[in-house]
Amino acid sequence: MAQYIEQPLTLYSRWPKPLAVLVDWLTTTDHKKIGIMYLLYSLLMAIVGGAMAGMIRSQLAVPDNTLLRPELYNEILTLHGTIMIFFVAMPALAGFGNYLVPILIGARDMAFPRLNAFSFWLLVPSGLLMLASLFVEGGAAAAGWTSYTPLASKQYMATPGVDMWIFSLHLAGLSSILGAVNFIVTTLNMRAPGMRLMEMPLFVWAWFVTATLILVAIPVLSGALTMLLTDRLLGTNFFKISEGGDPLLWQHLFWFFGHPEVYIVILPSFGIISHVLAAFAHKRIFGYPGMVIAIAAIGIVGYLVWAHHMFTTGLSTLSLILFSAFSMVIAIPTGVKVWSWLATIWGGTIRFTTPMKFALGFIALFILGGMGGIFLANAAVDFSLHDTYFVVGHFHYVFAGGTVVALLAATYFWFPKMTGRFLSEKLGTWVFWLFFSGVLLSFLVMHFLGILGMPRRVYTYRPEFTSLNQLVTAGYVLQLLAGLLLLFDIFRTLLKPKQDLPPDPWGINEVQKTLDWATSSPPPPYNFERTPTPDQWRYEPKEQAA
Amino acid sequence: MLRKPAWAAFVIGLLMTSGCRFADPESTTTWLFDPATPIAEEVRQNFWYTASLIAPFLILAEALLLYAIFRFRNRAGRKPAAFHENVKLEVFWTLVPAITLVMIAVPSFRLVHKITHVPADTELEVQVFGHQFFWRYEYPEYGITLSDEPLVLPANKKVALTFSSVDVIHSWWVPAFGFKQDANPGRVATRWVQVKPGYYKGQCAELCGALHGVMWIEVVALPEEAFREWVRARKRGEAPSIEELRAMLSGPQVAKQED
Ligand code: HEM
Ligand SMILES: [Cu+2]
Ligand SMILES: [Cu+2]
Repeated sequence: MAQYIEQPLTLYSRWPKPLAVLVDWLTTTDHKKIGIMYLLYSLLMAIVGGAMAGMIRSQLAVPDNTLLRPELYNEILTLHGTIMIFFVAMPALAGFGNYLVPILIGARDMAFPRLNAFSFWLLVPSGLLMLASLFVEGGAAAAGWTSYTPLASKQYMATPGVDMWIFSLHLAGLSSILGAVNFIVTTLNMRAPGMRLMEMPLFVWAWFVTATLILVAIPVLSGALTMLLTDRLLGTNFFKISEGGDPLLWQHLFWFFGHPEVYIVILPSFGIISHVLAAFAHKRIFGYPGMVIAIAAIGIVGYLVWAHHMFTTGLSTLSLILFSAFSMVIAIPTGVKVWSWLATIWGGTIRFTTPMKFALGFIALFILGGMGGIFLANAAVDFSLHDTYFVVGHFHYVFAGGTVVALLAATYFWFPKMTGRFLSEKLGTWVFWLFFSGVLLSFLVMHFLGILGMPRRVYTYRPEFTSLNQLVTAGYVLQLLAGLLLLFDIFRTLLKPKQDLPPDPWGINEVQKTLDWATSSPPPPYNFERTPTPDQWRYEPKEQAA
Repeated sequence: MLRKPAWAAFVIGLLMTSGCRFADPESTTTWLFDPATPIAEEVRQNFWYTASLIAPFLILAEALLLYAIFRFRNRAGRKPAAFHENVKLEVFWTLVPAITLVMIAVPSFRLVHKITHVPADTELEVQVFGHQFFWRYEYPEYGITLSDEPLVLPANKKVALTFSSVDVIHSWWVPAFGFKQDANPGRVATRWVQVKPGYYKGQCAELCGALHGVMWIEVVALPEEAFREWVRARKRGEAPSIEELRAMLSGPQVAKQED
């Protein structure tokens, strides 16, 4: 089957090989190549965003540090948050989604391959615009990734950097929306004959629900961004108080997008974790229907909680209580996921491969993040915790400990499928322990800082917070080492010759029964030599009885 | 993953190393360890109450995870179990957290009501205005304005605070008071405090521009006599420094010496 992969270049076959390969990748509409490009893009941006985190933690290593000017600190802070969410987490999940969803449902490609390529390529100008904004006169946007008005209005932040931030997110948003349409149509229309919805692997379900979230939430962000942009450039008054505009309107619109956004980056991660846990515990996923319902419930209730980010803005008591209540409700399906994962590995025969280590680490960290979420959903307590380092600790447990750890699990898990090579298990163990302990340390300490009185988004702090801040910075160093080690391993492995791997290199598919392990590693163009048949993904009743 | 004893030792060690710093009387006082208002006191209780209801789930989940990791290794001769559903169990782990959350919610909502409803018997109103990057306080009853100065409050008296801003959004936060409130331009929000005598630190909690990180807050809550003394001094055009204000904390005799 290997010869399939070596010769998709017929069109340019007379060109010099490197040029032909390059043009092939630049013009490809193959979902696997696009998926890999998304992943490389995300990796590149992770280096940028990670370096920015390093600048933030260096500045905060001691109080009254003069390393970064206050203005520059806020710019770096804003771009770090924006880049990590829009240019690292989302493209990485879109990358795995693009690569895997068609394969997992037995399709040849996404429903709209050219639209798919367009979605990816939109991210290139988008990312460039975001990074270039650092170098314009007046500097980049500096109002945080949430860019609250009036701070982000022309009056208080005249720099074109804010306009570039807006345009950049418009492009990224368009990319996500088109991608979401593609995922929804692909999932609904392109499944192999006979595959029922309730037979789809959980990663496909998770991406499907995520795509619906994107389709509803991102246009709201785009609308709000457009209003901000016209306020800034055309003199409209959506947010201008002196002209009858409302500063809180921005917050409502932003968080109507912003809360579903956090599920956009966690639901596909949930899917990844389910696959990895079942594979290496050598058991079927526990409570598959319950898991699907939980994903859908999180997706739906997720629309009703946005104002939990606004408890201290002066909402009415009734709104406070309702949004607090709905936020607590979210914890229930989230809990169902965790219990079902525990039941999935319960009684299994666990193999501690690197992806499995990350998946187990994900559960450990995600539980901590979710528990923090309940304190925050408790409005009475959130009056004290809001906008402190407690919140920063909470969302890094679910982003770094959740999404990023899941992405690392996915990277180690599907790397052999995508490249025909295994990443090093030995280095992987190091990457895992460094990253896990770094995340555990940094973000736990942040919770304490918040309780003790340190607000977020500050470039300096009172002297009593010094030792804890240094612990956070130490945790950053551990995470940085993990990242560097992973990069080293990826490049080293890609330079090695391809191994001759079987379709199921981990030896898991007898229990997993998903189509990704039923095709060659890497898969041929169009994924399958023959359209997959139900016996390739359906559990036989005999097996169940055993 | 997490080795339990190491984990516990880590947390305890952390609390101890930070504890010596926070015993310092100049440290920021917090709602959790030194609540200064009735609200902060209740928030503290509600926090520990919430924590006590959540902790069993946290410990159970992490413990099950650890147990599974050690117990269900892939050893020679072990066969994986085949179960993959148990409806009773699933209903159970949906309902028990749901009930727990109701138990968290009910007292929380009562407290929310208490925080947001200003009692009718407040004895003073102070208007708080956010500026880039300092706070201005107006006492309409006395015609006093404090600009970029410590806020002075009568201790143990119910005081209504109204919050607004002249430019961008700020957030007024003194941790020991048990709440923070955004100061929105074009809007007014009202909260209330009843502060124990003392000196309190806080700072702006909503990103408001370059110097947000140093938009400090200081509050001195003076005993009744000292507070009246301060009002008189202020009306005479004097502006006692923070050191003088803190000296007045120890009693009216200190204040009298200053006449
Ligand atoms: C048990 C489930 C969860 C609950 C009850 C919960 C609750 C909350 C609440 C109430 C806040 C607002 C805190 C504040 O600003 O004062 C918050 C912030 C946040 N949460 Fe969660 N959360 C949960 C899980 C998650 C997950 C799974 C994610 C994403 C992966 C997430 C990401 C975030 C982010 C990014 C913020 C802060 C956004 C910002 O202010 O910049 N949370 N959470
Ligand atoms: Cu939220
Ligand atoms: Cu501020």
